[in-house]
Amino acid sequence: MYPPKLDKIINLFESLPEDERRETLVSYADNAKKQEPREGEKFDLEDVRKDEECADTVGVYLYVEENGKTHIRMTLGPEVQTLTRAMAAILCKSLDGCTPQEILDLPSDFVTRIVGSELVRIRSQTIYYVLTRIKGVCKVYLDRQRMARAEVA
Amino acid sequence: MATNPTQYAHPEALVETDWLEKHLKDDGIRIVESNEDVLLYGTGHIPGAVHIDWRADLQDPVIRDYIAPETFAELCSKNGITPDTTCVFYGDKANWWACYALWAFRLFGHGKVKILNGGRDKWKAEQRPMTRDVPKYPKTNYSVPKKRFDKEIRAFADEALAQSESGKPLIDVRSPGEFKGEVTHMPEYPQEGVLRGGHIPGAKSMPWKTATNDDNTFKSAPELAKIYFEQCGVKPETETVVYCRIGERSSHTWFVLTYLLGLDNVRNYDGSWTEWGNKVGAPIEKGA
Repeated sequence: MYPPKLDKIINLFESLPEDERRETLVSYADNAKKQEPREGEKFDLEDVRKDEECADTVGVYLYVEENGKTHIRMTLGPEVQTLTRAMAAILCKSLDGCTPQEILDLPSDFVTRIVGSELVRIRSQTIYYVLTRIKGVCKVYLDRQRMARAEVA
Repeated sequence: MATNPTQYAHPEALVETDWLEKHLKDDGIRIVESNEDVLLYGTGHIPGAVHIDWRADLQDPVIRDYIAPETFAELCSKNGITPDTTCVFYGDKANWWACYALWAFRLFGHGKVKILNGGRDKWKAEQRPMTRDVPKYPKTNYSVPKKRFDKEIRAFADEALAQSESGKPLIDVRSPGEFKGEVTHMPEYPQEGVLRGGHIPGAKSMPWKTATNDDNTFKSAPELAKIYFEQCGVKPETETVVYCRIGERSSHTWFVLTYLLGLDNVRNYDGSWTEWGNKVGAPIEKGA
């Protein structure tokens, strides 16, 4: 149902007690910088913006290989909250190699399984933001592909 | 109480970063971090600081209210706090949540409370020590508070309405856009289910941020007096009610009025706009 890398991460988080779950989220947040675009990388789509739902600017960068596999990079402004940083690191890593359509088709219920019911209860408004942004960029990419194919036809 | 003070009414309610660094291990002090960012404490905090979350620890998990006195006593006991402990609060967002936690502690009658001037951002900017070690303190036996001081420092919707109708000082500390009714939440924040925008009739708009400097420290007493006494019409002899969206930013202003300007009759309407803007029949004014 979920891409293998994501499935592994979900299982890991579900096995952790609350304290360790939070520590692991913080560890992912620490590594969020590693998901930034690297020198020389080129992207099919770049979506950098500041939304009302988030405390600072978030950039999503999408590169799709010829075989359809995607690579996602993200930039996060300094005010972006720790939970959002963690989700950015988790999703960039776990969705790497999926197709844009696979990402778009992902049910969002896994987010709560990673974050845990306690954090969902106290901060429910912020947990879906990164997934929504990644899905958004995939949708734009697929729409453009469809339009390009229609023009050729 | 002078309306043209040259210094804070209760300077002991503020500690500076330099002072705190020198007193990290003092007996009788407990440093308390309270943030909007729920995981921020885990990324590093002031050595020895405990974490108290405004929602998970201070609010009732079911009804919209604060925890019961018994739960407050348990929370304090678990964090090694006694009724004599001086709690120094600090946090992100210019100490909004630190002030909110301080206000909640005052609701339960905990008297020895202080704010770290400038909060977490200033401490970090000055490259003072941070750690990820979570301290463990011997459990105390905090006695269950006999009452909650709702009547003294908290206002409910009916009291906010009475304040509005009587023309007494009512300060809306939200952003100008929220006050005018152009938006129902502050920029960068999610909509939290408010159906109507605007402000309580008669409220004066004075965004919380007006009370702080760029480094999140509080402005001087003469500057604060000018803002609240001259511009907002606050008077020492008249009750004042402050509100925002959910009571966090107004806790900041409540702290300023109560501790820095020395007013003893300020109440925080913590139901704030998320209650008022949804309340059937509640009068609303729009525009500046």
